[in-house]
Amino acid sequence: MTVRALVLAGYGLNCDVETNHALLLAGAEAEVVHVNDLTGYKGHKPVKTLDQYDILAFVGGFSWGDDHGGGVVLAARLANHLGDQVREFVDQGGLAIGICNGFQVLVNLGLLPGLKGQTERSVALIANNCGNFQDRWVEMLAEPKSPCVFTRGLSRFDLPIRHGEGKFVATDETLARLEENGLVALRYGDGRGDRANGEFPQNPNGSKNDIAGICDQTGRIFGLMPHPEGFYRQSQHPLWTRLREEKTRKGEPFDSMAPAAGLKFFQNAVEAVKQEKAK
Amino acid sequence: MAHRLEIGLKPELSDPGGQSLINKAHDYMGIEINNARVLRVLTFDTALTSEELETVRKRIFTNPVTDISSFAPLAPRVLSDFDWALWVGLKPGVRDNEGSTALEAMADVLGREMAEDEAVYFSRLYLLKAPGISRDEAESLCAELLANPIIQSWQVIAKDQWDPENGIGIFIPKVKLAHEPSVLNLEIKSDRDLMELSLERNLFLNEADIPVIRAYFDDPEVRSLRAEKGLKAPTDVELEYVSQARSDHCNHNTFNGRFEYRDMLTGEEQVVDNLFKECIKHPTEKLAAERDWVVSVLWDNAGVARLDDNNNYVITGETHNSPSNMEAYGGAITGIVGVYRDPMGTGKGAKLSAGMWGFCVGPRDYDGELKPALHPKRLLDGIIEGVRDGGNKSGIPTASGLLHFDPRYIGKCLVFVSALGVMPAQLGGEPSHEKTTRPGDLVVMCGGRVGADGIHGVTASSAGYSENTPAGHVQIGDPYTQKKMHDFLLEARDKGLIPYITDNGGGGLSSSVGESARLSPGAEVDLKKVPLKYEGLDPWQIWVSESQERMTVAVAPEDHDAFMALSDKHDVLSTVIGRFTGDGMLKLTYGDKVCCYVDVAFLEKGFPQWQFEAAWLPPAARGLVEPVLGDPEEMNSLVLDLLESPNLCSREWINRQFDHEVQGTSVIKPFVGVKADIPSEAGVILPVLESDTGLAMASVLLTEYGDIDTYHMITASVEEGLRRMTAVGGDPEQVGGVDNFCWPSIIYDPKTNPDGQYKAAQLVRACWGLKDACLALGIPLLSGKDSMYVDGTLKSEKGLTQRVSGPPTMMFTATAPVPGLHRAQTLEPKAAGDLVYVLGRTKDELGGSALYGLMNLTGLKVPETDFDASKALCRALSRALEANLAASTCVVSKGGLAYGFARMVMAAGMGLDLDLDLLDAEENLSGLGRLFSESTGRMIVTVDPAKKAEFEALLKDVAWAEVGRVAGHDRLLIKGLGRNLVELDAAGMRQSFNKRFGGLV
Repeated sequence: MTVRALVLAGYGLNCDVETNHALLLAGAEAEVVHVNDLTGYKGHKPVKTLDQYDILAFVGGFSWGDDHGGGVVLAARLANHLGDQVREFVDQGGLAIGICNGFQVLVNLGLLPGLKGQTERSVALIANNCGNFQDRWVEMLAEPKSPCVFTRGLSRFDLPIRHGEGKFVATDETLARLEENGLVALRYGDGRGDRANGEFPQNPNGSKNDIAGICDQTGRIFGLMPHPEGFYRQSQHPLWTRLREEKTRKGEPFDSMAPAAGLKFFQNAVEAVKQEKAK
Repeated sequence: MAHRLEIGLKPELSDPGGQSLINKAHDYMGIEINNARVLRVLTFDTALTSEELETVRKRIFTNPVTDISSFAPLAPRVLSDFDWALWVGLKPGVRDNEGSTALEAMADVLGREMAEDEAVYFSRLYLLKAPGISRDEAESLCAELLANPIIQSWQVIAKDQWDPENGIGIFIPKVKLAHEPSVLNLEIKSDRDLMELSLERNLFLNEADIPVIRAYFDDPEVRSLRAEKGLKAPTDVELEYVSQARSDHCNHNTFNGRFEYRDMLTGEEQVVDNLFKECIKHPTEKLAAERDWVVSVLWDNAGVARLDDNNNYVITGETHNSPSNMEAYGGAITGIVGVYRDPMGTGKGAKLSAGMWGFCVGPRDYDGELKPALHPKRLLDGIIEGVRDGGNKSGIPTASGLLHFDPRYIGKCLVFVSALGVMPAQLGGEPSHEKTTRPGDLVVMCGGRVGADGIHGVTASSAGYSENTPAGHVQIGDPYTQKKMHDFLLEARDKGLIPYITDNGGGGLSSSVGESARLSPGAEVDLKKVPLKYEGLDPWQIWVSESQERMTVAVAPEDHDAFMALSDKHDVLSTVIGRFTGDGMLKLTYGDKVCCYVDVAFLEKGFPQWQFEAAWLPPAARGLVEPVLGDPEEMNSLVLDLLESPNLCSREWINRQFDHEVQGTSVIKPFVGVKADIPSEAGVILPVLESDTGLAMASVLLTEYGDIDTYHMITASVEEGLRRMTAVGGDPEQVGGVDNFCWPSIIYDPKTNPDGQYKAAQLVRACWGLKDACLALGIPLLSGKDSMYVDGTLKSEKGLTQRVSGPPTMMFTATAPVPGLHRAQTLEPKAAGDLVYVLGRTKDELGGSALYGLMNLTGLKVPETDFDASKALCRALSRALEANLAASTCVVSKGGLAYGFARMVMAAGMGLDLDLDLLDAEENLSGLGRLFSESTGRMIVTVDPAKKAEFEALLKDVAWAEVGRVAGHDRLLIKGLGRNLVELDAAGMRQSFNKRFGGLV
């Protein structure tokens, strides 16, 4: 059974290759598609439409250089040219993941959190409290009660963050609604399995409620600041050589290329599509 | 009509930009600010209706969750009781990235093309609550923290001067060159005429080149050919072209020079006919011929070597010193974005895979008499931010780097940037590293537009500035534009549309077209077709401008439409500006008028070689002596002092700002250990995700040894590169090198450079060291560059000026494939009970060491490298890693064994229990020598006791000793000379390691 995935590229996006690679490893028929192949450009009609795909991946990077806010210009572009297609895709139950800059795009498109009665942007990702871009590994805690399709079966694991604008903010009222509806899918942990409680660097950007990722009420639209494609194989983890030593001394096999926690996000998505198609 | 939109965070949200200003004003300048808010300002010089303005305000520029915005001053709503308003904007002609993306987004949302003369300008407004500060202090906040006068202008407005209605007013930094482009014919009657012209126009022609240039233009045959094209006297385009091509930057006249070297002690003389040929080219050719993994060296923009059976990697390194020294951010971002074009322009084009950096600056806490262009603290901040934005926004992992402090870099800082790329070995059945231009191919310029940027590099005079004069010599790299071009060119390459590509760097089109025209041979270009940033540029300016983000591509006429359509898809500007011909001539026109007609081979022949005298005095004869030091009872505080010292302490704050993991290729990061904060021995990436062959990379810079003898500085650097590659799993038989020389001027002048001949001798000895080390260790130089004139003339507080020369510096960058990630290893011990080995012999070699550095001593006994011993060690270690026998590998370098052991303990959170009496060391070596000597060729390795025999069996040709065990506790315990020398715990060491820069983010 074929599961088709689109990985968005162009205009300064830069995680397309590895996200595509992770989706391929997860069993999807994935392809990298330039924004302009969807919108058309200078005398050229669009050559791809969103309804050709089961999964959309809005990847990380610096679309339009992050000028005027991360993901802002790309979201405006997509809304302008593909607004109807995007709504249609979502209404048809398609799956979408927004990673880092892609999360910012989904938020600026108003697709996340997509609370009832809200069409405007209601949450935002703004400059990190520390005032600077950060590349570091953080502990992730997946919320068991979240409807998120992508985080199924995950509980506690590590992922890298790499951003300057990842502080999740919303009004108290919106935050309360997110929590009530279980839309917070991922939080920053303190390294010992508890919530980071706003402490830097465990919560690397100052996000409210330690929020690292949220989904919509269907659980099918999901955005997160950390990079699951940054931990699709074991040998991306900062401590993998140590893990290898521990395993081999116990006589257990260790494969540096073996799948890691981040790949699970993509496997979950592929699996969900397969199950639905089998119905 | 112009409008000004101000955007700010909602008052209830904290403002990290404001907080950062408060902190820096306090820390750097002792100025107290109570509260600060930063507003983004967009000035629209557009024909938008008020409805359209409102549309873009709401839909693009204002986030309803976090922002407020207004076309009226926002100050009353975000900080109504401000004391000072500081506005900072770019000067005319300076690349305004935010302004141009704003325009792009507006065109899309409004569904209309913006007109040529419509523009948006970005600036910032800082509102300060700071009742205690004076106007002078407010001015200095702008001049020293928020702006650089070279590229930015500012206004300081006190609250009582504030115009509540118009706020800061409207400032349009539009370039207006009221100038009709023209070509000058320059009648030259004598050598003196040409010399004067050279001075007048900043051509920097070498005196010896002048008769050769004149002879060419006076040649009757040349004259008659030129007459046919309507040309008589040389034109300004032609002379500018010749001067660019003959510059030391493009032509490496120093390295190609002839050196008469004399040992002043023995009187022995030696002539080096051509330093480059003898020490770099010939050894590399010899090594390349013997190694099939060396694919392409010595001619292209970067070197090419084999990664695995199907892929090659591409590497080069550059410096961007002078521009960074003046405008740190702009210089550094232009440097890293610029070096990324070299792999893109190598062969038929490589995909960018990694960036590396090396920064050499004065002490961060410098408070000397002499005033550098920028204080090292601010300089370093700017350099870091430039490399951060340039690397991160390019989507290329900034995978490895180094920072070195030395007060002599206050004259001029060094900013090294290196780039690695990969490409499939074959493209459409042809080798990817080969390229050529063919008669009939179109000359296409891709990427940015051309302005007056970078004309004559940084030497352009800043005199005669007016409000509408472009800041000509300063450039701001634009990674966004370049990233789009990178993606486009790779797709074009894979479709077989690119027979030839090269980058536009120094010298601009004059260099890229001039060099590519030598292949076809011949080209004609119409300079009027080159897209400009603004009207009014003279043809010669278009020809030599160094405006960034441009590549020159040859495209077959039948591929024109496909190439242009792809370019449009990626939103990249591509323009056919001419075609390659086969007549051997470079013909430039401006419209129909010929303005340059020169034989493409002219610049390659007949120019005289530069000559240098080099006078060497051996270190002892210069008065260097070995200090007489006695061992202290215990050495804890020495170890802690070392960990805290500026050149060995943590640089985590820098690496954390650099995305070192994008592309999903990371294998060994800049940091290792349980807290991921200890610098690793080398970076390793997996550049092709489908393969399991890694690529290791590291840079080495050992300036202090050069104070004793640059020969040993270089041999130690190359050898350390080899060891770093081996330690992380790289194949020691496939190590490639890149030499980046940064040297003070070696042109002797009794008044301005009295020790020029000594500096020349240092350069000769360095090159000899490079040659010997590369040949002995089997390391071909895949690429390299030189940057001379690392000197600055600074003024003191008392008005004296003093020339400060940088220390002779070479950054050596090593690369190696890691054939299988199972070989990759890190430095932290993995299990208590493991055996600790020191491989290699420890000698009494403290000269130039970090230990002496703590005491401001130099010493005499500089580490001397035993090439054969190092090769044997690396071969043995490589076998051990292949067989999974080494559980950790730590390179011994600056700081000696002490620094190595300390890093291992901090990284592992496990202790080491050691006895240095067991060390394989020179007889009667002192405790200081045992712990802090920097003898090359050593490695610390930990080994599972179960693998002891197997491991030791590999060490037949290696000096080694088992010196202790990994312990269950977390302390570094070192015995020796019958007592406890060191007893420190991981937490205490980490505290020292982070003391200096740990608070920086």
